[in-house]
Amino acid sequence: MMLICKRLLWTIPILWMVATITFALVRVVPGGPFDAEKHLPPEIVANIKAKYHLDKPVIEQYILYLNRLAHGDLGVSYKYVNRTVNDIIGDALPVSIQLGATALIIAIVIGIPLGTFAAVRRGTAYDLAAMAISTIGISVPSFLVGALLIYIFGITFKILPVALWESPSHMIMPALTLSFLPTAYIARLTRASVLEVLQKDWVRTARSKGLSLQSTIIKHVLRNSLLPVLTIIGPLTAILITGSFTVEYIYAIPGMGRFFITAVINRDYDLIMATSLIFAVILIACNTVVDMAYTLLDPRIKVKS
Amino acid sequence: MPALSHTRQPRLPGVTRPAQSSFTTVWKRLQRVPTATAALLIIACMLLVAILSWAGVTLSPYSYDQTSTALLACPSWAHPMGTDELGRDLLARVIYGSRLSMTIGVSTAAVALLFGTIYGAIAGYYGGRLDSLLMRGIEVAYALPDLLVMILVGVLIGRGTAGILIALGLVSWMGTARLVRGQFLQLLNEEFVEAARCTGQSSLAIITKHLLPNAIGPIIVALTFIVPSAIVSESTLSFIGLGLSPPACSWGTLAAEGWRSLRSHPHLILFPSAFIFATVLSFNFLGDGLRDAFDPRTRLDRKA
Repeated sequence: MMLICKRLLWTIPILWMVATITFALVRVVPGGPFDAEKHLPPEIVANIKAKYHLDKPVIEQYILYLNRLAHGDLGVSYKYVNRTVNDIIGDALPVSIQLGATALIIAIVIGIPLGTFAAVRRGTAYDLAAMAISTIGISVPSFLVGALLIYIFGITFKILPVALWESPSHMIMPALTLSFLPTAYIARLTRASVLEVLQKDWVRTARSKGLSLQSTIIKHVLRNSLLPVLTIIGPLTAILITGSFTVEYIYAIPGMGRFFITAVINRDYDLIMATSLIFAVILIACNTVVDMAYTLLDPRIKVKS
Repeated sequence: MPALSHTRQPRLPGVTRPAQSSFTTVWKRLQRVPTATAALLIIACMLLVAILSWAGVTLSPYSYDQTSTALLACPSWAHPMGTDELGRDLLARVIYGSRLSMTIGVSTAAVALLFGTIYGAIAGYYGGRLDSLLMRGIEVAYALPDLLVMILVGVLIGRGTAGILIALGLVSWMGTARLVRGQFLQLLNEEFVEAARCTGQSSLAIITKHLLPNAIGPIIVALTFIVPSAIVSESTLSFIGLGLSPPACSWGTLAAEGWRSLRSHPHLILFPSAFIFATVLSFNFLGDGLRDAFDPRTRLDRKA
């Protein structure tokens, strides 16, 4: 319990540092949110800046920002007029989570069996093929996968929509594209982990008491070998977030990654900081949950507090 | 081995094994992995193409910015990869782009090696409070997705090559630092470190002469994986319009240009991304092979 509290408390300074770093980065970047447009009269620019407190000294802006954050207010978008950042994120986050979760499920459903079979049939052509496939999955840039899928299914055969996020059929190609990398990672890790467990004495015991290979694998091996796989959920989330930038760009999906990219291009200060913070929160949350789940699921592990 | 006779190797009766430097062993073991050998060959070719391009040797009859009247031509004998919307030969542009992509990959790895090793070495060697402080720093650095940091930093410094290089360097040293620290923590318990301390060697000497050479294997393996991830990161950034932009010419910017005409001229995105894919795949296979070759526990002579 102490440990969990400690972990949770430790996330606050990390979040504060992330907020500060993004605040500093965004303010140091040359060019403000109202520079790009046609030349406005200086009085109007001054008015706009006063409205968003951009005329105040940076330190004061920073304190104002932290104060707002503490109250759960992420600010207003300068570009999407009259929309608060909370509003935009309320729309975009579910889309991204849906996309990420679908991709993760695909990755688990394909990756774990692929890795397990490769380990069981170690050294055979199947193993080599599975590992070659996963290396390819790690190496292929997601925009190549996206372009190929769009070209084959969207343009040549015209069976799937090439962009947007409206019906379940819109989800197929983006989720597939996003799942490539995590599938390959999960397959590799599962293979290594299963190989290690297969050498344990109790696997031999289970086999020699007449248990079939199939039930040995399912009942004894997988249960023990999936724990290490669980630990990469953290890095996997990072991969999914990074991947979502490209995938949402390719398929024009109104998710977090897409809003982040347009926010950076538009210098939409509050939106940039809010999206960065939310990505950080998701990552930290995943890592913390995984750490805790790990200690709960495996009684052999006692983390020293 | 007369040259090594003074090193007091334990001689077991009946065991005669020629002494080999560890690198020769690794090299021999690496050659037993067919994928790694093929990968090494491809990487050597890619590097050669990039270096020749730097040196001004043109491997294509066209220069990278030479326009022709054949706009958006499909692949043919005259233009093996076709031409873009200004009639520029894509093969010449892909060759020219390899310069930037390869340079970015290799220099990012160099930055990661230098900074990550120093950081990790200090943390691992001195330990204690300094170590936990430095590791907390890494934890914060890990709390943000790489691409996010790269975009923010890249925009901050400017979207030129220098900006991309710094941004990539900033996100790729943490892995090396953690690795070096972990290796050092293990090695510090070894007797030869104690022996070196007893003979009064300075900390710097112990780190550079005793600890680093023993940690070099995993570091090299890690470096092999940094190069491809840097190449992919750069091309992804350029692809979504936040990295390099024309007239800069890398595989990423070429793919981004090709993306716009995917519907009508898919070859424009296919060839640059195929080059990225082949290079990255080769580095990953080489890295896998190197890891097995450096690890004495894997047996490469017998089919496992």
